[in-house]
Amino acid sequence: MRLWTPTWLPAAALLALAISGCATPPPAGDKEALADYRQTNDPLEPTNRVLFAVANGFNEVVIRPLAVGYVNAVPQVVRSHVHNVLANLNTPTILANDMMQGKPQRAGTTLMRLLINTTAGIGGIFDVAAGLGYPEHSSDFGETLAIWGVPEGPFLYLPILGPTDPRDAIGYGVDIALSPETWLLTTGPEMDLEYAQFGLYIIDIYADLMPDLDKVQQQALDPYATFRSLYRQHRHAQIDAIRNDHAATSPDHWYPERPPAQ
Amino acid sequence: MLTRRSLLIATLPLAAAPVPGWLRPARAQSPAQATQFIDQTAKQLVAIIDAGAPAPQKRAQLQQIIDRDVAVAEVAQFCLGRHWRDATPQQQADYVQLFHRVLLNSIAGHLGDYKGITYTIGRATAGDGGVQVPTVLNRPGQPSANLTWLVANVGGGPKIIDLIAEGTSMRLTQRSDYDSYLNRNGGRVQALLDAMKRQASQSG
Repeated sequence: MRLWTPTWLPAAALLALAISGCATPPPAGDKEALADYRQTNDPLEPTNRVLFAVANGFNEVVIRPLAVGYVNAVPQVVRSHVHNVLANLNTPTILANDMMQGKPQRAGTTLMRLLINTTAGIGGIFDVAAGLGYPEHSSDFGETLAIWGVPEGPFLYLPILGPTDPRDAIGYGVDIALSPETWLLTTGPEMDLEYAQFGLYIIDIYADLMPDLDKVQQQALDPYATFRSLYRQHRHAQIDAIRNDHAATSPDHWYPERPPAQ
Repeated sequence: MLTRRSLLIATLPLAAAPVPGWLRPARAQSPAQATQFIDQTAKQLVAIIDAGAPAPQKRAQLQQIIDRDVAVAEVAQFCLGRHWRDATPQQQADYVQLFHRVLLNSIAGHLGDYKGITYTIGRATAGDGGVQVPTVLNRPGQPSANLTWLVANVGGGPKIIDLIAEGTSMRLTQRSDYDSYLNRNGGRVQALLDAMKRQASQSG
């Protein structure tokens, strides 16, 4: 997934510029509508909706058949091992972000996960660390920027990234730069490996999310608005969880009698 | 995280020494009461999911629980936001009725996904909007999920007013869906009602 510059990304960016339109704010007299508009903070909504429709089309035609094939052909046990390996490859990035967020306990957990799963877990195939009291958590540079006080900015819907905002989009780029793979796998065949890994990463995520995505598409009257709301709320919850994590450096299970931290 | 057993122990003093009714604040729910209420509701939901009753019977049982434990009218009004006032009384009544049907369909349609589910209840906390009761859902072969129930005193008793799944509030998400749909349809409440009617008849 690293150092990944598909030739059509500039084309997509140009397309976005070409169709860029701005949402029309409600009249200043309608205070409630204006407040809703500001809260939604989606001034590029017309453009975002076009990209959302394009991404949906692409998902339906390309990603979904692959994900369905993957789910049908590969047993759940194997899929979960594939997921473990991909997650383990991402652990150095998580570790770097845990540290930059100033969360020693989370960083310690991630470091133990990396050490245990890479060795005892045979290159990350088995998530041995979770069973030893080091559960998986996510962490990315978008969250790190949030902890540092950078505002999220307006909502964006981008190719590949899907629902996002400028903070998370920049964070995604920085996370790629933070991954050791970006700097280790640089020759032709190694790059092919990276592309294959990125492809598998997309299929893994999509296969996991497919039932929930389908539910939203079926049940929402405006799926775009629903995804926008879900994305924002989920990100806010993740960032709040990091912000409120004041746990000491020793993992919880060292002191099982300690009351839950709240 | 409280287990069932420690929850039982935690609520024992409540059972042993019931607080006289006139001492209880009229509007507020205590975290302990809310926890007990959610445990009771969740137990009944799990029983419905695990029992092999035919679909129509499950649906009827589910409706009973929703009508008794969820503040459907209040949640519906919240989800319509500022557009509630634009609706005529008849539209408001139709809307609440449709909301009820869509909610029931949506929950009934996904009961199958939760077969074999178990849960643990965490420490409830009282806030401005009500008492938050966190639960962790465990499904066989799947990662555990966090679900927080928001409980408030509505109409003299505890009622569920929101579900927060992995940090996403169902009523806020629904409100944003309806708001966006209405804005794209000239703010006409009737357009929303028509869409909800289609939705209710499709999945019901």
